[in-house]
Amino acid sequence: MSNPIITVNNTSKKYIIGENIHGRGKRTLRNIVDHRVKRLFSEEERRKSREETTIWALKDISFQVEEGDVIGIIGRNGSGKSTLLKILARITEPTRGEIILRGRAASLLEVGSGFHLELTGRENIYLNGSILGMRKAEIDRRFDEIVQYAEIEKLLDTPAKRYSSGMYMRLAFAVAAHLEAEILLIDEVLAVGDIQFQKKCLGTMGDISRSGRTILFVSHNMEAVSQLCRKSLLLQSGTMVDYSETQTIILRYMQLSNM
Amino acid sequence: MMTTTIVIRPSRRFPLPRFKELWEFRELFYFLVWRDIIIRYRQTILGVGWAIVKPILSVVVITFIFNKLAGFTSEGIPYQLFTLAGILAWNFFSQGVTAASQSMIYNSNLVTKVYFPRLIIPSAAVLRGLVDLGIALLLYASLMYYYSFSPGWQLFLFPLAVAWGVMSCLGVSLWVSAIGVKYHDVAQALPFFVQLLFWISPVGYSSAKVTGRFVLFYWMNPMAGVIECFRYSLLGKAYLPANLLILSLAVSVMILVSGIINFKRMEKEFADVI
Repeated sequence: MSNPIITVNNTSKKYIIGENIHGRGKRTLRNIVDHRVKRLFSEEERRKSREETTIWALKDISFQVEEGDVIGIIGRNGSGKSTLLKILARITEPTRGEIILRGRAASLLEVGSGFHLELTGRENIYLNGSILGMRKAEIDRRFDEIVQYAEIEKLLDTPAKRYSSGMYMRLAFAVAAHLEAEILLIDEVLAVGDIQFQKKCLGTMGDISRSGRTILFVSHNMEAVSQLCRKSLLLQSGTMVDYSETQTIILRYMQLSNM
Repeated sequence: MMTTTIVIRPSRRFPLPRFKELWEFRELFYFLVWRDIIIRYRQTILGVGWAIVKPILSVVVITFIFNKLAGFTSEGIPYQLFTLAGILAWNFFSQGVTAASQSMIYNSNLVTKVYFPRLIIPSAAVLRGLVDLGIALLLYASLMYYYSFSPGWQLFLFPLAVAWGVMSCLGVSLWVSAIGVKYHDVAQALPFFVQLLFWISPVGYSSAKVTGRFVLFYWMNPMAGVIECFRYSLLGKAYLPANLLILSLAVSVMILVSGIINFKRMEKEFADVI
């Protein structure tokens, strides 16, 4: 048995939120100084700030993923799903713990975030591919495939601001779908686009998983999760409730939600 | 199959920059510079012409104020050439620092969605100014031709002067961009301080004019050294006492090194606080 492609050991993530909530306004220098001074003189302020300053978005998560698995990550809003993906994508750091990835990980968090409206479709393909970690040679090689998938041949040299939102989404997903990373981290891609587009996305993700790559898939769409993922991971307020067969997990999730 | 193993751990308090990784991401760096250049000139009438128009207007105004009104001279060199050398260095610096200070916020959709070494963002903002500098050099060459002034062997030192300019600009940029992520006050305060720094940089006058007990303070401004070096390499003549030059250079190096350390220290919070 080979090593798991993803190993997550006792990983936790703490967010410091104190100085940014409860009517204190933004973290500007003035607000911070103001807050610190108040805290110095008032017991009440000190107590409040201790309670408010930290929140554990993830608590002691451990799990492993074998190469080629498609894992669903489910849980209610604020349960830590996106934080987990962000840590795996190295966008933010864990506060404690260790994660070992045996392969390149690419994040597909909200497709199209690297797009620029003033650039043409062609320019956006290169820019976005490069942002997602593709080499220029790689993009050159897959350029025609991407254009064909996105169905934007005619508008290749038109600025993206003239695209319909459907075309925009197709192009964004097309670039991401042609990444050559071993691990794909996908957050709620299906929340946008029409039904046809969603079906196409699901189909592509099925193809990607059959090509032997590993996918971590965050979604609220239970139908999509049960279709794509053999195993799933259930999170609730930062802790891992369960990690096993998708059907079992979805049942537990339903039970938790009804409680 | 070759696999890369990536270990994700909480970083140390003062992480070091990983130069190898920066080199691996050079294509992204190139694409960000390219994107910003394209976007800046798209839907503008003058386009790249702005890189010529701005220094011309600066020469006109500065010649009027410093040369005609205040009576500063340039020791035999046509004053326009004298001041334009300073303007080129100054514009590169001020535009670079201003662009870099906004660059993290401008790219916040990347910072919160994708991993790459964040150092790339302010560096790209600084280095794209080299394109404007290159274009403005054409203006400089034509002005030299107009005044029939030929540069000497010192011209070969010009790349070194530019390198120093990049270093100074990058150092300050790393500080302001990292702090600017957390404290949006930077966006308010920076233009004002850049404006102040202009008056204490030798753009419209020679730094030889500064004497007495302020000399050491004056030369702690890294741009004092950079501007005089621009002047020396382009015109073959400038005020360059070795000890003050070394002071200015040492301050630049210190700002750059501390800027990198501070940036790496604050970097891990960027995605959470931006």
